[in-house]
Amino acid sequence: MEDRHERELVERCRSGDERAFQELVDRHKDLVFALIARTVQDRSRAEDLAQDVFLRVHRGLPYFRGEARLSTWIYRIVANVCLQDHGRAPKTAPLDEERGASALAVADRQFTDLEVRDRLEKAIARLPANYRLLVAAHYLQGVQYEELAEALQLPLGTVKTQLYRAKQQLRRLLETDLR
Amino acid sequence: MFCDEALDAIEAIAGEELTPDGRVAAHLASCPNCAAALVSARALEQMLRRRAVPTAPPQFTSRTMARVRRARWRNDQFLDAGFNVAVGLVVLTVVAGVWLLLNRSGLVAVSNEAVDLMGSGLVTFFRRVTPSLPLYAGATAVLATALGIWWWAEKDAAL
Repeated sequence: MEDRHERELVERCRSGDERAFQELVDRHKDLVFALIARTVQDRSRAEDLAQDVFLRVHRGLPYFRGEARLSTWIYRIVANVCLQDHGRAPKTAPLDEERGASALAVADRQFTDLEVRDRLEKAIARLPANYRLLVAAHYLQGVQYEELAEALQLPLGTVKTQLYRAKQQLRRLLETDLR
Repeated sequence: MFCDEALDAIEAIAGEELTPDGRVAAHLASCPNCAAALVSARALEQMLRRRAVPTAPPQFTSRTMARVRRARWRNDQFLDAGFNVAVGLVVLTVVAGVWLLLNRSGLVAVSNEAVDLMGSGLVTFFRRVTPSLPLYAGATAVLATALGIWWWAEKDAAL
């Protein structure tokens, strides 16, 4: 039923129905935005990139053959946009430097929950782009391992291995905060 | 059982995708380093699960649709410009081809004379007609008025 509705929506978009495309954006915007915002951190940049994703979807719909699910195809575009943006984004400062600065600022104070979360975001920002995307996607509702593997065109085992490695790196970066 | 083997499984155990079997469980119970790694992996898992889910801004759809329309308009403009350039090139090619054909066949000289002849003919025609122009204008006005009255009468009759 859902698949049929999706196919009909795609067909309406292909025939130039603007309201259908608007419905498509509405249906997928939260997941697309959340994935990108978790990967690039900066909200306004995330919005730009999320819009880029939908522009590419709009351009690519005539060539979408429907072999994969629409959402899988959109995740693939999200992955491409995030990985391309990674090449353009300014390099993040090393975590140790940030840690040194923040450690001086907080002096004898214990890390609060908010600070730990901030450290987590900074540690995630230090991960390679593909690991960041996997971490972002895995912890969002609705994105399955299988769908991720199809979207990234990677074997299921590779997706799991890369995710474990990403978490190992995160653990190393956050070692003191996690104890 | 070595630490390496246990550490390889730590993330899957923390993510509850793997239940430690007897050997792994025994190692985790006896090795303080691996047990500590499991504790930190579980803590990380909890932090990642509790991570806030960003939601799209309220105006996201309308802003995206505006960008889609702008992109489509630019694309249309580009296509229009391309089409106009192509038509211009075709017209230029045809004109150049006709000119080359006329030039090679010697028809250019003949056509020049024909143009001169037509030009002088038109000048003579206008010289003759100019004095009677007010008369022609008056006659045209009378004819137009008569046609107007007839059209108005016909319209009323049809009603």
